Amino acid sequence: MVAGLGDLDEISADIIESCRNGDRDAFRALYETYKDKVYSIALYFFHGDASAAGDITQQVFLKLIRGIAQFRGESGFSTWLYRLVVNACMDAARRAKPREIAADIPDTRSEPGSQEEDLARRQRAQSVQAALSALPVKFRLPMLLRYFEDLSYEEMARAMGCSIGTVASRLSRGHRMLAQKLESLR
Amino acid sequence: MKDEMSDELKDLPLVKAPDAIWARIEAELDRPSRATRRLRPAFAWAFALAAMAIIGVTVWYGALRSKPGWDVVRADGSKGKIAVGDWLETGPTAKAVLTVGDIGTVEVQPNTRIKLEAAKPGEQRLKLARGDISATVTAPPRLFIVDTPASTAFDLGCAYTMHADEDGNGLLRVTLGWVSLEWAGRESLVPAGASCRTHAKVGPGTPYFENGGEPALELAISESRVRDTLTLWHLLSRVAPVDRQRVFQRMVQLVPLPQSVSADKALQLDPETLKLWREELAWKW
Repeated sequence: MVAGLGDLDEISADIIESCRNGDRDAFRALYETYKDKVYSIALYFFHGDASAAGDITQQVFLKLIRGIAQFRGESGFSTWLYRLVVNACMDAARRAKPREIAADIPDTRSEPGSQEEDLARRQRAQSVQAALSALPVKFRLPMLLRYFEDLSYEEMARAMGCSIGTVASRLSRGHRMLAQKLESLR
Repeated sequence: MKDEMSDELKDLPLVKAPDAIWARIEAELDRPSRATRRLRPAFAWAFALAAMAIIGVTVWYGALRSKPGWDVVRADGSKGKIAVGDWLETGPTAKAVLTVGDIGTVEVQPNTRIKLEAAKPGEQRLKLARGDISATVTAPPRLFIVDTPASTAFDLGCAYTMHADEDGNGLLRVTLGWVSLEWAGRESLVPAGASCRTHAKVGPGTPYFENGGEPALELAISESRVRDTLTLWHLLSRVAPVDRQRVFQRMVQLVPLPQSVSADKALQLDPETLKLWREELAWKW
């Protein structure tokens, strides 16, 4: 089955409660639920740099696990999680020197296709990755959040610390810029 | 909306996180905290004796067992607790590490006096009367709070150091994330890599990036770089009206005014306009 983005269940309140009580299995369940999304956002944010994406993922989940006892559910869990992702990515981007864009991102979809289909899909993914990487940070990050987590505008605004109008405008402009860049790559 | 986005992004695969990441997380979780590791040296005895001779960490333990509080590890390795309402004071060479609930640690530097004001799930709060602390906190925003004589620092998920003297002058340096410094309606948002002074009876000053130096107005305007729009944005509402136009001009010279921000409203210090502009500029900080 293709690893679709909407296939992963939201984390349950029980798991969060168990995490608050220090249950290591619950931590693992929480990690398993979100790890690929967090890793993917970081990977695409850092132009396919697997090392940077791994560091960000580790950092985000450590902060999450260590702080979850204080999570009161006043804002959504995803909102908090993605605020950590945004902060971690932005902090790392500020510290990082410009990186080479990685040549390829591993395609982990498990559904086999014909060789031609696979090749075409990989080429399309590489084009999108290259176009996405070329977007300024302020457009790249909201698009990744929107695509990988499908957060509402309000949730994204909370995660990024800006207004809903700003989110809408960045998504709209980011989308247009991505389409233009893809057009020029074709 | 998602469908519209997916037109371009549908070919982007979700990438499986390598298994090694969880192993690294578990290893970190199993390690004792950095503070504890630092305070467990091989020379514990010699260190403890020397420390006992010169260290004046004083914790008042009144009614400790019945009151909420934070764990304290002193430089000699001895452990205790500070309860809500208690003061802790370090001597000229003393240090102590406080465990802030489950959310982080505060390292108390020599010649520092603090008071624990709240230790409950929704609020962890201390008063820094004088001296220096280093805080590392991983928690939802605005849960960890530090009061100084001329500011209140709200953690927004970060690490920082803070100095305060008894008059209210002080310095905040943020190393990770963001801190919001607030005082009597005045607010300074300080991102990682930036610092902000606090001034007696005035409150938080204007944030600046370390290699930019604390701004004098003329220098702030003439020497500012794109990142220094952090400083200029805060200056905008703090300078005399006659200088505001110059600060504004320099800002838009460095970063063109976004279409969504009205120049007139920005110069009139319309709060919503300034907030919107800050959100746009923050991506450059």
